[in-house]
Amino acid sequence: MNQFTFEGKQRTVLLGGMVLGLVCLVLTFFIDPLEGSHHARFWSNLLHNTVFFTGIAFISLFVMCAFTTAYAGWFVGMKRLWEAMSLFLIVGLVLLLIIVAGLWGHLHHLYHWNVEGVSTLGHENYDRIIAGKSGFLNKYWYTFGTIIFVGVWYMFARKIRSLSLQEDTSGTDAYTHFKKIKFWSAFLLPIGAFTSAAMIWQWVMSIDAHWYSTMYAWYSSASWFVSATAFTILMLIYLKGKGYYQNISDEHLHDFGKFLFAFSVFWTYLWFSQYMLIWYSNNGEETIYFRQRLDSYPVLFYGNLVMNFVLPFLILMRNSTKRKHGTLILVSLLTFFGHWWDFFYMIKPGVVINAGGHADHGAGDHSDGHEVLGAAADHGEHASSFMAGYTLPGLLELGIFIGFLSLFIYFVFMKLKEASLVPENDPYMKESVHHHV
Amino acid sequence: MSAPVAPVRLPLVEGGKSYHDITEDIVSPTENAPGTAWVIAFLISVVTLGFGLFCIFWTIYMGIGTWGSNRTIGWAWDITNFVWWIGIGHAGTLISAILLLFRQKWRTGVNRAAEAMTIFAVMCAGLFPLIHMGRIWLANFIFPYPNTRGPLWVNFNSPLLWDVFAISTYFTVSLLFWYTGLVPDFATVRDRAKGIRKRIYAFLAFGWTGKAKHWQRWESLSLVLAGIATPLVLSVHTIVSFDFATSVIPGWHTTIFPPYFVAGAIFSGFAMVLTLMIITRKVLNLQEYITVEHIESMNKVIVATGSIVGVAYLTELFVSWYSGYVYEQFAFYNRAAGIYWWSYFGMMLCNVISPQFFWIKKLRRNITFTFFMSIFINIGMWFERFVIIATTLARDYLPSSWSYYMPTWVEVGIFVGTMGLFFTLYLIFTRVAPVVAIAEVKSILKTAGDQYIGEKANDGDHKNSAH
Amino acid sequence: MKEGNTTVLFGLYDDEVDLLNAVKKANEAHLDILDVYSPFPVHGLDPLLGLEESRLHIAGFVYGSLGTMTAFGVMTWVFTRDWPIIFGGKPYWSVPAFIPITFELTVLFAAIGMVVTFYTICGLGPGVKAEVLDDRITDDKFCIAYDVSNMASDKISELKSFFSGTGASSVSTKVI
Repeated sequence: MNQFTFEGKQRTVLLGGMVLGLVCLVLTFFIDPLEGSHHARFWSNLLHNTVFFTGIAFISLFVMCAFTTAYAGWFVGMKRLWEAMSLFLIVGLVLLLIIVAGLWGHLHHLYHWNVEGVSTLGHENYDRIIAGKSGFLNKYWYTFGTIIFVGVWYMFARKIRSLSLQEDTSGTDAYTHFKKIKFWSAFLLPIGAFTSAAMIWQWVMSIDAHWYSTMYAWYSSASWFVSATAFTILMLIYLKGKGYYQNISDEHLHDFGKFLFAFSVFWTYLWFSQYMLIWYSNNGEETIYFRQRLDSYPVLFYGNLVMNFVLPFLILMRNSTKRKHGTLILVSLLTFFGHWWDFFYMIKPGVVINAGGHADHGAGDHSDGHEVLGAAADHGEHASSFMAGYTLPGLLELGIFIGFLSLFIYFVFMKLKEASLVPENDPYMKESVHHHV
Repeated sequence: MSAPVAPVRLPLVEGGKSYHDITEDIVSPTENAPGTAWVIAFLISVVTLGFGLFCIFWTIYMGIGTWGSNRTIGWAWDITNFVWWIGIGHAGTLISAILLLFRQKWRTGVNRAAEAMTIFAVMCAGLFPLIHMGRIWLANFIFPYPNTRGPLWVNFNSPLLWDVFAISTYFTVSLLFWYTGLVPDFATVRDRAKGIRKRIYAFLAFGWTGKAKHWQRWESLSLVLAGIATPLVLSVHTIVSFDFATSVIPGWHTTIFPPYFVAGAIFSGFAMVLTLMIITRKVLNLQEYITVEHIESMNKVIVATGSIVGVAYLTELFVSWYSGYVYEQFAFYNRAAGIYWWSYFGMMLCNVISPQFFWIKKLRRNITFTFFMSIFINIGMWFERFVIIATTLARDYLPSSWSYYMPTWVEVGIFVGTMGLFFTLYLIFTRVAPVVAIAEVKSILKTAGDQYIGEKANDGDHKNSAH
Repeated sequence: MKEGNTTVLFGLYDDEVDLLNAVKKANEAHLDILDVYSPFPVHGLDPLLGLEESRLHIAGFVYGSLGTMTAFGVMTWVFTRDWPIIFGGKPYWSVPAFIPITFELTVLFAAIGMVVTFYTICGLGPGVKAEVLDDRITDDKFCIAYDVSNMASDKISELKSFFSGTGASSVSTKVI
């Protein structure tokens, strides 16, 4: 069957998940080991999950466009799924606007560059390094970038979607819709590449405002890509189990498994490059980033590698595992959660510092860190005091993850039911159906 | 392999060829005497190579002082050329390996020549680390073998040594991959040859007969070699980038170098493949196998990788400001406005601006435009390496150490000589081996030949399905 | 390599589709094919001939692992036991710095190992004499070959009629 029905039972489960997530999110507003941090746990959880899922939506759009531009035919049978995932950008935009509002109202202290007077010479909060970056790190750019760039991505997603739906009803042998889709896809690629880099710097990299890495945007994108692939595999297997997507065979799943493997390795390569280069030149301003994470968040650090490299590499290396649904489900769940963990590891340590909490016994991790060092002295000798929601995701964070995931799936299902699951009149359909690895 | 083909796909083999036509068209250049064009090109290449060899001899005999390198610009043309040649070599493995994994059929028209190009380019590249040592007779020191000097080990922690392992592995694996593909094609040449030629090709063909089991293992081997050659390609230029990125020099020490270098390598490699293929297809009359489709596909790769390189440049520029690190900011200011500003603009123009023309379909399919662009791009990529190496070293932390560099005739001669080496080897290759992968083109004929798909296709008259 | 003389009856086909259909007919008639030859790999042929999947990739994995352990092991021994030296303030067991060479040697061992294995198990290599049934097999002809060394003449004519029945363009006998 090619028409998706959003069943009542599915709705109930997903709504339940969303309620759970919302409750957990609200609870983190009140239950926060970091006192006086302007509810850092709540705001960082919101940021973490929003960036993670919005990024997955963005990368689905980007990859769909890349494949279209590259004349790939094998995936078109399932492209409706990626269309649905890309349209989630609008939800992401709304969630991001909440964070933007928090920025303007000084409701949160996620970003140290937003503190009053941080770039005013002579002010008690003056930070020379951040002042130098304030031409980019300011709430105007943040707002503009979020609204305009994410908005533009969403418009591309909408355009391509509408052309795709039109092709269903009025597509002909002239393949005019296909040509237009190709044009818009090619157009998105450079725009998406530049703007997504700018936004990840704003949203996540600037949390550790003294630090920087030119690799950061590529590393985050790879993380999103693996997550999107894992989600795709899980969705396809689930939908096939319900009787949909008869045209998607084990051959397609095998190929998605290969992408999961290949891009997990690619993510690892980017991770290693970033880590090793900073380790090798041993420059204190750079190494502090990893020093903090190794010292105070070792489970996050090593867990990241195990979940996103070691296990997927060993499991997916053999051809046979990419053809077993059970194994694919396991590895996809693992890497999806693993990359959510990756973004947690990118965001939380910096949030702790910005909130005035101490992270480690490192020297000078904050140029105006008098309060920080003082706090460190007060709190005693070392840094491994466990803080739920920061040192490790707590149960509430897991609940929020389930909530956002339910929201994402709910939205995707809503979009899937709007049109035929399988596109009609797409010139590559026959190739897709007969795809053989 | 008689799978359905989307109606929007265009043919990759033109002229309504049969399997026998493919054999004839591709093997005949190895059987006939070379034309005037080949002879002239060969003579020029050999003479250039000879001059290069003399310059190398001069360097070894008289010493590195015959070069323009100085303090603090210890690396200049030598390492620029090294990285340039390695980058060029990347296209071959990429076309063979990565495009195989992505099932891009168009690779079969160009992979054989591109792989050969890789091997020759790596040979040219490998020259530079050897001769820039100065005391090349001690070159064995860089290998870890039991010795009487301690025994003294090499420094496994040094990126320069990682390079030794990377380049050796890359050369070996590329050679193995290229030769594995050649064996069946050498058998084809053997079975048409007579006399001494037959004996030579019989030796080269390793006894290949075309048995089904052998083909099965051959395909499995090709697939696995492709699977490991892909990360290998990425690793080689990554390790080359580590030569710079592991340092503490602003403009060198930046985490984006690995993927940025790899994208740049693919970019320049494809440009060189285009340069060679455009000439080859004309001279050897292979336009029906290396079609405008192939050229357009390669141009798409060029616009993609050129844009990635452009994104990387702009990222570096932006982050140098963002870093707030005054030396980093100066390094980039110096690139654009310092003594070597012209090389920076050459780089930006050739690498970022010019490939954007390939967004226009008409230009992608224009052979003359592509030819000039491919040369332009390679010039631009040479400038990129020069900008990274020489301009950065010319102006690093201590102003009292600032200096200027100009190449000497010896260095120019060596560089030109490597071009001579490259083209000499390539020209010999075109006469001695099939330039296009015969067996692989035959295997895609029924799904990519113009009598089967595309406008000229005639349905029904041929056997197209076997289920 | 095969010693002694094998008499081979083989038929040549003009197209791989004809070849595949002929192999199917041979399977139906329970004829024992000696070998099939083609100028390029024909997809769909391997399952018809009952050829087991190649295990070269397993060999590749083993060789590669050998390379990994060799590289990492040797470097670890050199820098922690044999002659530890402090480089750039890094620890003796500087794992991140070991990764590039470890990776390269993994690939090198896997590639050389697999290629040598491939040529060995196929019986191919420099100096091996090819037993060519017909020069056109590496050009554009597809070949099915039967071993008729000790075969009765009525069986041989059955095979010959098989060839004519499946559209072979020529049938010949050769001793290899």
